[in-house]
Amino acid sequence: MIGRIGIVGGGVAGWMAALALVRALPGTRIDLIETEGPDWSLGPFGPAEASLPDFPHWLADHGVDENALLRAARGSFALGTAFSGWAGPEADWFLPFGTIGAPLAGTGFHQLAARLRAGGHALRLADFSLAAIAAASGRFARPSDDPRSILSSYGYGLHLDRAGLAATLRAASGIGPAGTFRAFADDQVTLHDGTRIAADLWLDCSGPAALLAGGGDWESWAEWLPCDRVVESWNPAEGVPPPYGHAGAFEAGWQRTVPLVGGQGGALFYASGHLPAQPGAVSFAQGRRTQAWRGNVVALGAAATLVEPLHGWNLALLQNALARLIGLLPAAPGGPEPAEYNRLTAEEADRLRDFAILHYKTNGRTGDPLWDAARTTPVPETLRHKLDLYESRGRVPLYDEELFEAEDWIAVLDGQGVRPRRHDALADAIPEEALAQHASHIRALILDAVRAMPHHGATLRSEGLIA
Amino acid sequence: VPFHQQWLAAEGAGAFEDYSLPIRAARRGRFHRPDGAPYNYAYQFDAGLYAKYLRGYSEARGVERREGKVVDVALDGESGFVRSVMLESGEAIEADLFLDCSGFRGLLIEQALHAGYEEWTHWLPCDRAIAIPCANSGLLAPYTRAAAQESGWIWRIPLQHRTGNGHVYSSGFLGDEAALETLLAQLPGAPLAEPNRLRFVTGKRRTQWLGNTVAIGLASGFLEPLESTSIHLIQVAIGRLLDLFPTGEWDPLDAQEFNRLMALDYERVRDFLILHYHCQQRDDSAFWRHCREMALPASLEAKLALFRERGMVTQYREGTFLEPSWLAVYLGQHVIPRHPDPRAGGEGVAAVMAAMRAETAALAEAMPPHEAALGVPA
Repeated sequence: MIGRIGIVGGGVAGWMAALALVRALPGTRIDLIETEGPDWSLGPFGPAEASLPDFPHWLADHGVDENALLRAARGSFALGTAFSGWAGPEADWFLPFGTIGAPLAGTGFHQLAARLRAGGHALRLADFSLAAIAAASGRFARPSDDPRSILSSYGYGLHLDRAGLAATLRAASGIGPAGTFRAFADDQVTLHDGTRIAADLWLDCSGPAALLAGGGDWESWAEWLPCDRVVESWNPAEGVPPPYGHAGAFEAGWQRTVPLVGGQGGALFYASGHLPAQPGAVSFAQGRRTQAWRGNVVALGAAATLVEPLHGWNLALLQNALARLIGLLPAAPGGPEPAEYNRLTAEEADRLRDFAILHYKTNGRTGDPLWDAARTTPVPETLRHKLDLYESRGRVPLYDEELFEAEDWIAVLDGQGVRPRRHDALADAIPEEALAQHASHIRALILDAVRAMPHHGATLRSEGLIA
Repeated sequence: VPFHQQWLAAEGAGAFEDYSLPIRAARRGRFHRPDGAPYNYAYQFDAGLYAKYLRGYSEARGVERREGKVVDVALDGESGFVRSVMLESGEAIEADLFLDCSGFRGLLIEQALHAGYEEWTHWLPCDRAIAIPCANSGLLAPYTRAAAQESGWIWRIPLQHRTGNGHVYSSGFLGDEAALETLLAQLPGAPLAEPNRLRFVTGKRRTQWLGNTVAIGLASGFLEPLESTSIHLIQVAIGRLLDLFPTGEWDPLDAQEFNRLMALDYERVRDFLILHYHCQQRDDSAFWRHCREMALPASLEAKLALFRERGMVTQYREGTFLEPSWLAVYLGQHVIPRHPDPRAGGEGVAAVMAAMRAETAALAEAMPPHEAALGVPA
């Protein structure tokens, strides 16, 4: 039985773990031990965090008031991520939080789009996504619960200041830190003041330093994900933050921008072989711990999986890891829980790895050595199969434990300019005129809905989030 | 905390099935369409009549039925594709795409294309069945009965006009005459036909889509009808074929993906069936001892270990049977986890469970008898 759980790391990961455990295991003693230095518990990826649409639900389930969090963390809403420079030096596209188009007669919208394109109609998938259009016009309102309304076709994530998020999670957990970490030995943590703390299970939320889990094997993804240096930044800015994040590729890597109220959290990712050392750069090794759970230490957040946040997936990985851990809490010594936890965690991380690699593999930046190499490097078999099937006929096979759904894969593939050679035979059964009508109907619905939507600034103001 | 974990940790919470509306209703001979309620239903029907219905439906929509015996299959010398099938009458039928629905022998997929067969008899040793219909007796049960025997099991499927019965057994453990005797001794009514004897080899075709030929139904593999999966697997194959429908240029990826997905479906149903045989305490025959002691597929071994130890059901994306089905078999076969979820229990849980149980019973009781739902006299 687990009577006492210790958490090392007082950043976003540590406090999120504390909150989840306090709520799920009221009878268990939870000790959180802080570490020194910046909060890199989800990675050294800038002072702002971006989430996927399931994070607001997680907050609600854990008793965190969304508006209070937004106020504490200079937060704003996100409808997706804009990618520029990936499909080509001057090309951009949008990965929205929500559906793109709608199927007709059981055939997926991207198949219908392929058929229309074959008939000479030029179209852009994002033009059929309410989230993408609202983002482009700087509008935001929370979605509707009514499944018949087009306003239910999207979700939203949050952009949050890292320190404000950690503080809010800490307050919600109702516990305070037990002290500051000095050393870990013999299943005990020694604090700065010399106190020793014992626990039945340790959660390592100390980021890439992995103060407890660090001895274990690390599986590197460097051959596919070339960035190995990052520079965090904060740029003050006035005005209303745009309701989307930005990932801009350049010759030697990419720049992340997460807009907050009053400024932008940023991170410059680059490959050390392609750019001279930048001031303030931190080196990092993308990959995952071979066994996230080893003995009585579970690595969480960046201590377990370190992957550049092209899309706001690091909070989602942590959310899933916590749910998995709570469901698999050991009932007795020597049980099957760690092995099952590791199997699922590795599976999920590897599928996310594939999704990240996709952005590099399909890039259109010819002439830049880093990007040319990324295009030609062979990718893992699981991604190869997805790419082959998509290029052949626009299908995306999904494996167990995928964080992203087929629609997200399609949005990236289409945005990057990958066009299937064929479309589904079923799409041919629909008259072209009916297809065109279907598409323009969706488009009209979306435009009407976006026109009626308040601006992001008006929503932030009405919630008291900006003056 | 998942419901079954609460149930495992609770004391005096009654039987697991007390919390299942379909089981309660089935035991009471009642039925009502769910109308959005969280349960499902399926059909028990006469397969011959169903085929006839489908034939009428298809012919009315332009499908042309050509009767004849296939005596030869012409393959394309270069691609190995099936070009045409030759009938006894001398007529050759050409097509771009062939579906092999010829049953177990696989007229095209095996006899002409030699796809190969992966045998699973070391895990599912039954290889014979005897089927016989009999007259109805008593009420029309809204469920199929699968009763284990000394070296196999007997199905009973009540229909409006008769009851279907069959004995599935392993010829390595039981003779054909003894099998027939056992079946006849348990018939709930007078036999209505001569017994129909079937032989099969459990397993699946190594490649179900090969060239321009897609095997569907028994031509693609055989899994005994313990969980009535045959029609389901046909349905899945048709759906996948439509999803991956060839566009004329025959990209081998279509077949590759179809085969990958169908293999997952077959293997996951296989594991689910093996579970029924493996997890039991019968000591009355060599057959059951064998099933209990046999080595399991690694995929099932891991699932079973996780449930035995911790009561967790392994989830995945593809696959026919979801958590409630696995739970029903695990718990039905008395696989009781050593340690339920440590979070289970606590204040108020017992009262909530008691209320659930009472509500389930009341809802089942409120349903009409099965006969009334079908509109047939009881």
